[in-house]
Amino acid sequence: MSEAVLNFDSVAAVDAAREAVALKIDPVKAIEGGLAKGLREIGDRFERGEMYLPHLILGADAMEAAVKVLEEHVPREELESISRGTVVIGTVEGDIHDLGLRIVASMLRANGFKVHDLGCNTKSMDFIEKAKEVDADIIAVSSLMTTTMPFMKDLIEALEVTGIRDRFKILLGGGPVSERWAEEIGADGYGRDASEAVRVAKELVAERRSG
Amino acid sequence: MTAPSIWEVLDRACNTGQLTAAKDFDMKIFSVASRLSKEHGIRYDPETPVSGDDGLADDAWEAGFELFREVGSYCMNSGRVIKFDESEIRDGLREVRGEAVVGEGAERRILTLRGVEDKRPPSIVCGGVIESDFPEGENFVKLYQSIAQEPVIEGFYVGPPLHTSEGRLVRSGTPLEAHLGRSMVSWVREAVRRAGRPGMHFISACTPAIANVAAADPVEGLRRTDGIVSTIMPELKTDYENLNKVTFSHDYGCVKHVYNGGMIGGWAGGPEGALIVSIASAIMAVMVYKVGIGASYNALGYLRASTPNYSAFVTRPCLWGSSIGSQAISRNTKIINTAVAMTNAGPGTEMQFQEIAAALCASIPCGREGLSQGVRRFKVRPLLGSGLENRFWGEVGHAMAGVKRDFANSLAKEMLARYENKITKDSDGGPLGYTFDEIYDLNTLTPRKNFLEVYEKVKKELGDLGLEFKYY
Repeated sequence: MSEAVLNFDSVAAVDAAREAVALKIDPVKAIEGGLAKGLREIGDRFERGEMYLPHLILGADAMEAAVKVLEEHVPREELESISRGTVVIGTVEGDIHDLGLRIVASMLRANGFKVHDLGCNTKSMDFIEKAKEVDADIIAVSSLMTTTMPFMKDLIEALEVTGIRDRFKILLGGGPVSERWAEEIGADGYGRDASEAVRVAKELVAERRSG
Repeated sequence: MTAPSIWEVLDRACNTGQLTAAKDFDMKIFSVASRLSKEHGIRYDPETPVSGDDGLADDAWEAGFELFREVGSYCMNSGRVIKFDESEIRDGLREVRGEAVVGEGAERRILTLRGVEDKRPPSIVCGGVIESDFPEGENFVKLYQSIAQEPVIEGFYVGPPLHTSEGRLVRSGTPLEAHLGRSMVSWVREAVRRAGRPGMHFISACTPAIANVAAADPVEGLRRTDGIVSTIMPELKTDYENLNKVTFSHDYGCVKHVYNGGMIGGWAGGPEGALIVSIASAIMAVMVYKVGIGASYNALGYLRASTPNYSAFVTRPCLWGSSIGSQAISRNTKIINTAVAMTNAGPGTEMQFQEIAAALCASIPCGREGLSQGVRRFKVRPLLGSGLENRFWGEVGHAMAGVKRDFANSLAKEMLARYENKITKDSDGGPLGYTFDEIYDLNTLTPRKNFLEVYEKVKKELGDLGLEFKYY
């Protein structure tokens, strides 16, 4: 199964998933030891500069196709137990730069997070509604322009005003965004690049679940 | 036949182009660019950061042309693909004028075509401090005065928009953006007036179209001999904001300046794909942004490397792709193509000067017509940028005139050997650098002695390595 993901072959991944079901292989083990292993390998190669963003997308597509088959044979709670956490991600209102967003979303998926990608130009209330709907651990927000950074502050204000600030961790990233800015506006974490975003996301989920 | 008019292009972008999901467009770029790099035998060669291979440049041109013909460009607002058939693209390229007039009075400059290894110096040097974060008011004026007072500089890039206007935070899409656009241009006018060069050309890089529209004023604001920057987003994408800027530039009659490039690690894949995309982007600048009409020029951005660790610009694969992209466009089109380099290191550091020298090795000997914008540090720290690195940018750019590509390659390798090991995750890409008020005495607006010494040291090292400073 990991080979199918590594080869970006959705058809082979689905076939392998059906075979695993027929052989009564534990679907959770098939995901963890097969599909996710393949996607993690792609993520590692991406970090070493041996693979690129489209490879991450293709690998994730192959994994998703196979997971759909396995999902029919495993209780939802079990599937959620193997997830590292749920992330709602997007770029802030007014910002249409999507490349960094796609890289971070793909790297989070490769590391076992369940990612809900809202894309570019996302309003604060849309982040919040989605996070409530999927009971997210993290709202991850990026901005590539100095003039869209203030919308990050709006998101935190909106969470405070609605009395649910403590329900979600806020993770920031993007070219002009800095750790200082994240602290200044009261975010919970900052990732200067995709691999740091993944590391911080893991810490934030652990913190949220322990607290 | 004539190429499709701007109105026809807008019709395709807004009304008639095929509706396509963004992901499908992105993935098609990857698959077509990957196929074309194989078909044309384009392989990244780390030992040759500045290529001297004419055949490779022509192969890359063919691949870039084919990519644009097959894929077209994508309008992010409408979700429509703007496509052209082969004869339309050939008509568009044929109509490019190959000349642009910018600036006024004593500062009027004519941008003309240069060839690969051309002995003539770049036809314009535009400076700038792209991505720096400056406060509104006096320091902003002094920054641009420090650039405009450099004799080698003949224009500059103004942007990005400031954080504040009238002391209030500026948010994207809000009315203060329009006021800020007007204010920034009026401060720049003051800067060039103080430098004794009131007709000097500059390029407004305010992101929203409304800020540029608000700044347009033939006397006190953005003149017709100044420019508005429109950007091609990665990869081969546009949006209504940029198309508004193109349309307004067309109607107002000012200079169009299109910034584009390719991104290594993004939708294009590796260095080979990013090279092919960068050439396709220059064709898109002609076909969609109409850079061939009026006094317009293209800024083929340095390829960027987007890795999980950092975004880096003047790296070895970026130089390789930029050198071939420059030659491909110079050898096959009349597009006036200027160089844009963004350094990893900040101002006032040896590394930044070394990066500038390496970037220019892959530009001026490779047929770029001029230099536009300047250098930046990707991360924000207030007041990063000064006239000193702009001086170095222009002087080394002139020194590169007549330089052969094999010498440029050896010089680039030498510069890379000195700095590329500093582009690490731990260093966040390199030294952060020094602020404007650290580098300059703001009372006399002159560089401080210790920073001048760094500048002179690197310049002397380049001279010792065989680069002849014929003009400055």
